[in-house]
Amino acid sequence: MSPPPHHEVAAYALGLLDPEDHEAFESHLVECVDCQAELRELADVPALLDEIRRRRSPLEGRQG
Amino acid sequence: MDPDGINERDERMIHALYEAFGSRLLHHVRRATGNDHHWAEDVVQETLVRAWRHAGKLNKEPGMLWAWLLTVARRIIIDGRRRRRARPEEVEDTGLETVSVPDESEQTIAAMVVADALERLSAEHREVIEETYLKDRTINEAAEVLRIPPGTVKSRLYYAIRALRKDLKEKGVT
Ligand SMILES: [Zn+2]
Repeated sequence: MSPPPHHEVAAYALGLLDPEDHEAFESHLVECVDCQAELRELADVPALLDEIRRRRSPLEGRQG
Repeated sequence: MDPDGINERDERMIHALYEAFGSRLLHHVRRATGNDHHWAEDVVQETLVRAWRHAGKLNKEPGMLWAWLLTVARRIIIDGRRRRRARPEEVEDTGLETVSVPDESEQTIAAMVVADALERLSAEHREVIEETYLKDRTINEAAEVLRIPPGTVKSRLYYAIRALRKDLKEKGVT
C-alpha cells in the first residue's frame, strides 16, 4: 500500500478518516514533521466549526 | 474501553497526562458535547487511555501531543454521536443535567465569525466542509453523497480547511 498523502492531515485532524486510513495516516504522522506542524496548526479548527454546529442545534449533545 | 490490564505504572502515566492536559481537554470536549458533562468526562477518560496505549508512538512535544489528543477526542465524540443517532432510545436516560447551557454572547459571536468565514469560501470548499464534518460524515460517506472519489474529498477538504483557517487568522480568531 502506498503511504497516505500529506493532505490527509485535515481529515485526520477533524477525525473523519475511516479506521484503516486513520491508522495508516498516524503511522505517516509519526515520521513526517511537515504533517506534525500542520496538525498543530489545525488543532483548533474543529472547535471553531463546533461553534457553527452549536448555533444550528443548541441542544446538540442531548438530541444527537 | 477496556480498563483491564492497566497496572499501577500505567495508571500513573494516565494520571500525569490528566494533570498536564485534563482540564484543558475537558474544556474543549465539553463544548463539543454541548455541555454534556458525563459524556465529556467519559471522552476525556477514554482519550487519555488511548494516549497511554499509544505511548510508544507518541510525540512527546507538548504542542504535538495536544493536537493528537484533540484528534483522538474528536473521533470519540463523533463515534458517540453516531451511536446516539443509531440508538435514540438510549438518549432518554442521560438525565436532565445534560441539557446544554450555552453561555450565549461569547459563543454566538464566535459562531457568527466562523459562519461568515465559511460563507466567504468558494462554493466547493464550503460544500466539502458542510458534507463532512458538519454532517458527521466520514470521508468515505461524504464521497458517496458528493459522488467524487474519497481522495478528492480529502484533498478538497484540506484546501478548504486551510482557506478557512487563513481567513479566521486574518480576522484574529485563531
Ligand atoms: Zn506528511
